[in-house]
Formats: sequence, C-alpha cells, structure tokens
Amino acid sequence: MKKLLLPLLTSLLFNNGFGQQLFQLAPPMLQYHSAFFKDSETASLKFAQPGTKIYFTLNGAEPTQKDAVYRKPIDVKKSLTTLKAKVFGNGFLPSETVQATFIKDGLKIKSIEQSPPNEKYPGNGATTLFDNEGGIANMHSKNFLGYQQDSVEINITLDKKQPIRSVLLDFLRDEGSWIFPPQKITIFYFDDAKNEFEIMNKKEIIANTNAKANACVFELIKAGAKVNSNRLKIIIQPLQSIPEWHPGKGKQAWLFIDEIKIY
Amino acid sequence: MERRNFLRNTSLAMAALMIKPPIPMKEDTVLGQGNRRYKLDNHWSHADVAKYPVNDCHEMIQDSKGRILLLTNETHNNVLIYDKKGKILESWGHEYPGAHGLTLFDENGTEVLFICDNSRHQVIKTTIDGRVLMTLDYPKETGQYTKPEEYIPTETAITPTGDIYVADGYGKDFVIHYDASGRYLGYFGGRGPQEKHLLNAHGICLDFRDNKQPNLIVTSRQQNAFKRYTLEGEYINTIALPGAWVCRPVIKGDYLYSAVLQTNSRQGDHSGFVTILDKNYKVVSNLAGSVPNYVDGKLDEMYQTIKCFSYPHDVCIDDEENLYIAQWNSGKVYPYKLSPVI
Repeated sequence: MKKLLLPLLTSLLFNNGFGQQLFQLAPPMLQYHSAFFKDSETASLKFAQPGTKIYFTLNGAEPTQKDAVYRKPIDVKKSLTTLKAKVFGNGFLPSETVQATFIKDGLKIKSIEQSPPNEKYPGNGATTLFDNEGGIANMHSKNFLGYQQDSVEINITLDKKQPIRSVLLDFLRDEGSWIFPPQKITIFYFDDAKNEFEIMNKKEIIANTNAKANACVFELIKAGAKVNSNRLKIIIQPLQSIPEWHPGKGKQAWLFIDEIKIY
Repeated sequence: MERRNFLRNTSLAMAALMIKPPIPMKEDTVLGQGNRRYKLDNHWSHADVAKYPVNDCHEMIQDSKGRILLLTNETHNNVLIYDKKGKILESWGHEYPGAHGLTLFDENGTEVLFICDNSRHQVIKTTIDGRVLMTLDYPKETGQYTKPEEYIPTETAITPTGDIYVADGYGKDFVIHYDASGRYLGYFGGRGPQEKHLLNAHGICLDFRDNKQPNLIVTSRQQNAFKRYTLEGEYINTIALPGAWVCRPVIKGDYLYSAVLQTNSRQGDHSGFVTILDKNYKVVSNLAGSVPNYVDGKLDEMYQTIKCFSYPHDVCIDDEENLYIAQWNSGKVYPYKLSPVI
C-alpha cells in the first residue's frame, strides 16, 4: 500500500499543471574488484551530480541522512560486511539503495571439479569457483558458471583433513534473464572411517516472488554435526519450475554460481 | 507580460497560498552543466492520446516552417507534426509499422524526408506531407545480403548533393552509399574486430563543422562510441563514450547532441540521459547524467544521475536552441522539451 501511495501523492502534489514532476535520483555507482577477498577489499562509490551526497552504512541498515557521508573509498576487512548506499539531494527524491556483501576467503581449497557448465557460460576456467573473483551481479561477467539442467554436482578437495563448520555458495539472481537461485542444496562430506560420503546438511530455498533488482545472493549452510574431512560433495538442484508470475512460468530456470567458500 | 500585471498576478497567487493549505511547489528541474543547461518540461505535448496515440517515439526533426515532426511506430499516425508550443498541427502515415529513422533534406528548396522502417526492411523517401517519392530495398548489390530480413536500416544521412548513406544498425551494421537517384555506389563498416568495424550502427550524420574536411559520424552503440569516416568510407577515428549507449548523433551549430538510450552500469533499467559534445568531440554536458570528467584525456564512465528520462532515443534542436527528446519503450510518453537556461 505504501508503495502505491507515494507515487500517487507525488503525482497529485507535483503533477497538477502548475509545477513539474519531482524526479528521483538514480542509484550511485558502486564499484569493487570482487566481493570475495583474502585480507581486505576496497569499495568505491560515485555520483557526479552537484548538490547531492551519498550516504552509506556497513551494518546492513537502510542508509539515511543521519548516516556517514561517503568521501573516500571504503576498506572492508570483516567477512559478510554488507555495504548499503543511497543518494540524497535537495529537489529530488532519494535514490534506490545499492548494496553488496563482501565475503572473506575460507579454508584453503586444493581443487574443485564440477558438472560441465553450459558451453555459453563456462566461467573463468578450472578455478572459477574458488578464485576470489566475482560477486558482481552481471551474467556476462566471466565469473559465473551457468547451468540449465536437473542437477549440478560439485566435488571439493581441501588442502588437508580438518574441521568444517560451514559452506557458503554464491549465486546470481537475474529473473529477467531466467536466472534464479537453486531450489535445493545438499552437502556431503567424506567420512574416512566409513569410507563413504555422509550428509553434512541440506537446505531448501523458496523462490523469491518480489525480487526486483539483479543481485548476487549467497547461501551459508552450517554443518549439522561435527565434521572432520578434506572432501565435500555438493548437489545443487536448480529451480525446476519458474513461478507463476514470471513469463517463463513452469519452465526450468538457469543456475549461475560464481564462488564457494568453506569455513 | 507587463510589470503591473505581473505584480497583480503575484499578489493573487500569494493570496491563494494564504487561503489554501500550502502546496509544495516544485522548482524547475534544471539539467546539464556549463553553458549547456536546460529547464525540463515533461508536459510539452498537448496531444490528445485518443486522437494522436504514439508507441515508441523514435526520432524528431524541425522543418523550415519551424514545425516539429515526430516519427513513431504507431501506424494510427506515423508522423505527428507539432508547433513549438506542443500543439498538434497535423498528422499522417499508416504504413510504417517499423518507423525508426527520420531525416530531413532540403532538395533544391523543397524539403523531403527519409524514413527508415525496421519492419519493412526499407528506406522510404517522402514529401514533407507523406507522399512516397522513392523506396530503397535491401542492398543485395553489396553481396552481403541474401534476403530483406537481414537488413534492418535505422538511420540515413544525406549529403548536400543528395547522396544517401543508410546505416543498417539492427541488421549487419554496414553503411550503404547511394547517389541521389538511389543508384548503389558502395558500402563500408559491418561487424568485425577492427576499429573500423561497427556494432549496432544505430545512427549516422554528416559533420560539416570543419568545412575543409567534412566527414561522417556513425554510431557504434554497443561499443559505446561514435566512429568517424571520410565520405568515401575510410575510417578516421573513434570517439569513446564509456558507459553510454548513444543513439544518433545530431549536429546543430558547434555542438553534437545525442540521446543515450541506457548505460552499461544499469542495462534494462531505464538508465538513459542526453549527452552533448563540443566541436572537438569532448563531452561538455550530460543532461540527467554524470558530470563529464576527463583524466589524461580519457573520459570516465558515464551514468544516469536523475531519473527523468527512461530510454531517450533522439534529440531534436530547434531554431531557438530548445531540445525535444523522443523516447523508446517508455510507457508511450510524448516527447519532452528542454529550454536553455541562460
């Protein structure tokens, strides 16, 4: 309701013949090399429009004019830091909020073998899923492996046997391009004693029905019990039936994945 | 308005304000930088939507009578003719479902139009009131085309002697050259890896600002650039416009104007603006876009800053330096007018 009311009020107040419309500012340009980092990552914001200021937060809260004004590039060191930024200026409605979550490197991964991706979206070679590159919501960036199939298998080998607490997977959501997060993720670890894969945990994801902007979305899945291993197997089930409201309803969605972290 | 009237109206307005609850008055929206700043009027058109509907508003020109002609792919009235105040004077055209490119040419004192039709795969020359004078079909003479569907012309440029250049901007990105009678003379451009090649050759114009060496400016929209060629089709150089999906170049006086359909950073998200370049092909003003910034001669990526345009598609500059902005896929909006701020 609130969403409907604002444009209505705006048009009543500002669009009635003796005044021109009140316009909204565009979102600021948010730039960074990659959302995945080893020690730190630098994010910069740009908005070259006199009379405006960029406000930002690093705690996940929606930026207001009481928050910090952006003046210089921001260094991020803490994992899962979410930067949100928004532009305010006199005579204009504030911009939409832009955001990015920065994700720190985890346990050292020796190799990853995955189901062959669609030939159009081969990513960036064998290390695509653990190269600390990506987290940019653009399907044409070379960081994503793209799949359109029933299931995707990913086999991970760590440097050495060690305790594993959680697994993070980063996906693209670009509904206009039929790219959705998966519907199910199942993670197995190799149990040396039993000489077979045991389930570590699984997660089912409900397709978002009102996601507007393209974004990178991560899933952090914790181990159900104590796990000590050097091998993981992940089975990802892409969304098999696009929701009702989408032009592609009922069809198989695309799955785009760009990074995996083990903690 | 006489000063006395002005005062009286002001006091009436003040009185009205005192009686009514205060209504937030919006100041004019001023766009652009430097000596290329404009006041926006997004209610310029007085067209009755029931009588004069539009679909995509693709291109606009001003004729010698001062009238503003709009080309739309709405076959109820492909051409709407306005006065400068936004009043519809007349309309014509039902047979251009893919109406896209509109160029005016003064042919020995008589003005004629060249329409590029995406759906008909043709270029059509008409009188100013719509009588067909000539039709150019797909250019099989080039050896590059096997059927009409491969040819989707978007723009024409006409030399003072009547030679016609057609940009196949949604087809194979060649520029095809004809003489005034429509006789094929040659082609250049097309897709490829070299600087001389084009990708989405959406617009073309003639640049006579250096009268010693007139040249052609062709849009390479997906490469975010204009490319310059001699009239013989020899590549000269590229004008990089990082981030900007420039439509056709339009030259008036010392300046080059172009609608930027959208920006790289926000594709598919109504992120257009209007850019203005000086005689040296340097961006001097972005209307609803970022302040142009050059570092060591290199232009920073450009982007939208104010969401007042969705997908602007063409700029028309009238005899009083006002701008008219036609928009594609923007909710069937009529053109906006921008007046210079002095």
